[in-house]
Amino acid sequence: MADPTPTAPPPATHDAGEPIAEHRSRMRVTIDTVLRNRLAVIGLVVLALLVLAAIFGPTIAPYDINDINIADRLQGLSSSHWFGTDELGRDVFSRVLVGARVSLTVGFIAVGIAVVIGVPIGLVSGFYGGATDSWLMRLMDILFSLPAILLAIAILAVLGPGIVNAMIAIGIVYTPIFARITRGSVLTVKESVFVRAARSLGATDTRILRSHILPNVVAPIIVQTSLSLAFAILAEAALSFLGLGVQPPEPAWGRMLSEGRGFFQQAPWMAIFPGLAIVITVMAFNFVGDGLRDALDPQQRSVIESRGVG
Amino acid sequence: MTNYVLRRFGQMMLALLGVSVIVFALIHLVPGDPIRVALGTRFDPDTYAALSERAGLDRPIVVQYFAWLGSALTGDLGVSFRSGQPVTTLLLERLPATITLAFAALFVAIVVSIPLGIVSAIRSGSKLDYASTAASQVGVSVPDFWAGIMYILLFALALSWLPPSGYVSILDSPIDWLRHLALPAVTVGLISGSILFRFVRSAVLEALHQDYTRTARAKGLSEREVITRHVLPNAWIPIITVVGLQLGFLLSGVIVVEVIFAWPGLGRLALLSVQDRDFTVLQGAVLLIAAMFLVINLIVDVLYAYVDPRVRY
Amino acid sequence: MTGPVLKVDDLSVSFGTRTGRAMVVNDVSYEIGASETLAIVGESGSGKSVSSLALLQLLPVPPARVAGRAEFGGGDLLSMPDPEIRAVRGNRIAMIFQDPMTSLNPVRTIGYQLMEPLRMHMGMDKAAARARSIELLELVGIPSADERMDDYPQQFSGGMRQRVMIAMGISCEPDLLIADEATTALDVTTQAQIIEEIKQLQDRMGLALIWITHDLGVVAGIADRVVVLYGGAIMEEAAIDLLFDDPRHPYTRALLESLPVPGMDRPRRLQAIPGLPPDPVHLPAGCPFAPRCAYAQDICTSERPALTFPLEGHGVACHFDPEVFDG
Repeated sequence: MADPTPTAPPPATHDAGEPIAEHRSRMRVTIDTVLRNRLAVIGLVVLALLVLAAIFGPTIAPYDINDINIADRLQGLSSSHWFGTDELGRDVFSRVLVGARVSLTVGFIAVGIAVVIGVPIGLVSGFYGGATDSWLMRLMDILFSLPAILLAIAILAVLGPGIVNAMIAIGIVYTPIFARITRGSVLTVKESVFVRAARSLGATDTRILRSHILPNVVAPIIVQTSLSLAFAILAEAALSFLGLGVQPPEPAWGRMLSEGRGFFQQAPWMAIFPGLAIVITVMAFNFVGDGLRDALDPQQRSVIESRGVG
Repeated sequence: MTNYVLRRFGQMMLALLGVSVIVFALIHLVPGDPIRVALGTRFDPDTYAALSERAGLDRPIVVQYFAWLGSALTGDLGVSFRSGQPVTTLLLERLPATITLAFAALFVAIVVSIPLGIVSAIRSGSKLDYASTAASQVGVSVPDFWAGIMYILLFALALSWLPPSGYVSILDSPIDWLRHLALPAVTVGLISGSILFRFVRSAVLEALHQDYTRTARAKGLSEREVITRHVLPNAWIPIITVVGLQLGFLLSGVIVVEVIFAWPGLGRLALLSVQDRDFTVLQGAVLLIAAMFLVINLIVDVLYAYVDPRVRY
Repeated sequence: MTGPVLKVDDLSVSFGTRTGRAMVVNDVSYEIGASETLAIVGESGSGKSVSSLALLQLLPVPPARVAGRAEFGGGDLLSMPDPEIRAVRGNRIAMIFQDPMTSLNPVRTIGYQLMEPLRMHMGMDKAAARARSIELLELVGIPSADERMDDYPQQFSGGMRQRVMIAMGISCEPDLLIADEATTALDVTTQAQIIEEIKQLQDRMGLALIWITHDLGVVAGIADRVVVLYGGAIMEEAAIDLLFDDPRHPYTRALLESLPVPGMDRPRRLQAIPGLPPDPVHLPAGCPFAPRCAYAQDICTSERPALTFPLEGHGVACHFDPEVFDG
């Protein structure tokens, strides 16, 4: 047997040949994971289409949404009216298309309000603890204990109906959830080793909040945002169904449903299509939200939110 | 354990108090004179005077609050600005319908979601699993009012199997009671069931993948024994919690369905009172609904603590 | 009893994964006799746990594929139909696992969990099972056993929980007990206690014991013979003294050298083995240890060495004799 001289150990390899994969940025990994999830991709595509509809709706709609045409009222599906016409002869397809604008706007702004108010509350509450935490969370709990749609209706009873008030109402309803989630993340991170290390190096509170706590809190907030958007859209639809949201003549899917109710037997399409639009939109947000959750924080249990909304 | 119950009860009372403050504040946040607004075009100086005196809106706010709270505790929630009837009477009239619908919907939800959820988890990845999960995805995204309208379209108008709306007391005619209850219960129940299904499935799946399941198999138990004796007892605990929470939501959140089916429940009353600007009724309805919600949450928490040995000991 | 209690021949386990087929256990063979303790040593990912789970058919069989033969009590464990293997589990062969906190059902009393195998395999009724369970708890050193029967797992400390697991394992007086990293989650003192107790039980019951671990210190305390696994294959097997005195495989040597020596007179860097364990989906051709072996030659990366027995009772899977490395 030949006399083998010990060769230097080969570089760290995972197997016979391939080098170890380099470290990839967290965002890239997240995006990749989400894109691999087929449902999430479908959701994203649908959402993109909806955003386009919201922005360009009035321009690309085949008919003006206020184009009243009594002669053509209550027509069924046809090549000139894909979704039929309503009781005033208006094209349902155009109105559904433009209705995307209201739904998405209210949804995004309402959730935006909830995030803008709820996250800082959660941050302060979780970070400073003590009495502040106690009182803030008590307030959140009280808001949380009122069923969502009831709270929204009550707020609108005071403020009066309208699109802005609807956004405020829904925003207030969803604030506690964001406060709670943020607070939970802060509490988890606050006691972790690297925060203590930063403190021992003399970092100020604001710095710690900004550089250490916030980045870790972002993930659950992102997931919650997309899930809340889904429910916010349902909430808006419910409110406009009840006549408390967007006022005429702006088309809103919920209100179109309510109007369609009166003409059930003659023109069921008036109610079917706006409803379908809502279902598809909500499902899209849910898919994206689930995909984000699987990618960012698989352990986060999906919060069973009040499905009583809508 | 007793400590825990007492503490939770205290928290609930505090929350209820907080809710009462908010509810009370409602009437005072309205711009203008609430009674005048409520009477609207039917304004009449005598009615106005009588209602005003009854409501005592000229006293300092804090006094008003405690007066209101005080009478609320004795069952007097004031008088409707619209109809003059005692609010409590109105609420009690509507309560049975709401409770009936909530429980019927919960029944539908449980019957659909629990067996399907368990089987889907056990046979994860099977066709049944995919189909149920897909169905639940749709179920969670569907607005209940649209679903209700679709069902009415199909079952009441197209097929004429069931009445499209209305409520019949069980005392008058059990069969008609059931026929009127069916559609609204199914409408809400299927949606609630979709939420429950996802939860049941994930709870059972989680228990299935725990180490103690592996231990149970290693002891020689059959798969069926493993599931019934070890997996399910663990899964029940979170499931009970969610079922309870769903009941809470059902009791309080079916306003829109009540509107569609002309169901004479509390939610519809609350809505009508908003439209009528009948604030005393709104106050009473919101307070009652919130109270039911809070009480159920309390019961759920206590039940959970009782049932889970990890909390109890 | 003549002949080995368990004889494993060419056990191979692979898993289908998204990236390919993972060869987790490759042609592993060993045998164990009554009252004997065999230690299976390896890093995480070496296939040591999987090889034992396979014996009791505890691996989920679509993703997993199991080949080979495991002779036990006149039958082949790997191909037994379900009712038969269930009669073996917990009864003739018992297995205890690493984490006592999660391995016990938190919502059942330990009494219930203890009585289960007794009622199932030994046909005892409730009273008899309860009495026997109390005896078992006392045997493993749990005080106030009678009251403790109605307690839940979280009311016990980690060491106690593991003792309960052991009690559960030996309850039906099995021929073979497999302990998978059973003391890894415990502190050193408790570890030593438990190992002592198991050895005593073993003496009393004539139990064959397979001890799976990555901790050579534990091995020294408990094993009669050792099997060293790497990349799912046996690198070396020998009686414990032989292994420590005369390790013949580069991997074994590296493992022993990486152990810190108490009382070292000069601060010395710990000798870790450079590199990472092989990816089971892309196992190298040839010897699985070759990429990390200080003495690897061309033949090592192209041809897989067979397990040969240059000395009586001492098997090595290497192309070269250790004398060659040292010389």
